[in-house]
Amino acid sequence: MNIDNMNNEPIWKSWFARHGAKLLLFARQQSRRPDEAEDLLQEAFVRIWRLYGHTGEVAPGLVYRAIRRIAIDWARSIDRRKVREDKVALDSPLSFSFDRTLEQDERKQALLRAVERLPAEQKEVLTLKIWAELTFDEIARTLDESLNTVASRYRYALQKLKDWVPEEMQGKPEDSSSTAS
Amino acid sequence: MNEFEKLEAELKELRPLPPSDAFTARLQEALGDAGNVAMRCLPDQEDDASPDDFIKSTEKKGFSSRLLIFAGLGSLGLAAVWAAIFYLSSSLVPNGSSEQNDSANLLIAESGPVPEAPGAGLREDPDSPLHGISLKELQDVSVMPVSGWIDPQINERFLRRVDEGVFDRPGGLPATLLWTRPSGVIRHLICASSRPHHGKK
Repeated sequence: MNIDNMNNEPIWKSWFARHGAKLLLFARQQSRRPDEAEDLLQEAFVRIWRLYGHTGEVAPGLVYRAIRRIAIDWARSIDRRKVREDKVALDSPLSFSFDRTLEQDERKQALLRAVERLPAEQKEVLTLKIWAELTFDEIARTLDESLNTVASRYRYALQKLKDWVPEEMQGKPEDSSSTAS
Repeated sequence: MNEFEKLEAELKELRPLPPSDAFTARLQEALGDAGNVAMRCLPDQEDDASPDDFIKSTEKKGFSSRLLIFAGLGSLGLAAVWAAIFYLSSSLVPNGSSEQNDSANLLIAESGPVPEAPGAGLREDPDSPLHGISLKELQDVSVMPVSGWIDPQINERFLRRVDEGVFDRPGGLPATLLWTRPSGVIRHLICASSRPHHGKK
């Protein structure tokens, strides 16, 4: 093999290949508007990587936490914008963030619809636990909540999913506004 | 067995979509030089390397190890020089002449309860108006605040003020005032003045 073929690539690219999809999913949940998720992730990632990237490895929890903090900051300024823009975010389903080949699997689609119905605070805990693979301790620090709170939210979320998936498969979901508590 | 294990396994089977190439390119542009600070060769590509590549990489490693050795020797040399300077300075300072020690002792005896000679370490405090005396030391011996020059209202509490004239100090403005505490034996220099020189009385 020629030395030219030795593919030395910036370490951030291999890091981002491992964590990018999960981070983007979380950013989509945290952002008010769908088109803002990438901006949010870019801002958080660049800030953290400039601080710690020289070490060669960055704890993903730091980037999740940065995403959440920046989303809160941005939300405060967005509140001054038109309500119509927020409506767009509410209408964007989470299923667009997952592999489209799932469309042929009825149960997985029902599962995603059920996840969509979860309250936001339970959905973010579920996302960080299942797809970001953070520990409860890391999730608690990311969300600035207690360990017990995040563990409870996770358990409530799973319980709701267990109840709702059969309903979704039968095509009779309850009104999400009445169940999301 | 956890009742939710099956559900968790199903959820984990759902894979979030990876970021687009366009977004990755955007990130690269946004990172700029920070993205290139840490580099590494991916492990799977190292495994595929031919013997020629291995030799070349070994040569590179040899070069970097030599660099490390030079850097280590340089650091050791610097440390040795620092240690020598520190040793010399610490061993020379206490060995002043006996005359100097005697005069210092005499000064301390005259000064009464002053804990140490203010300029003993000659530490410079940029906020202090006095050479070799920190603001804190000044406060301790003068019983006055260090947060600035004395409020004229506070001056009224002192019983006696003696102006001993202007004298020059090394590296600072000339000082003008010496205060005498009512209790008697200690004289303290507390401030430098921008007043015009009056000459010694």
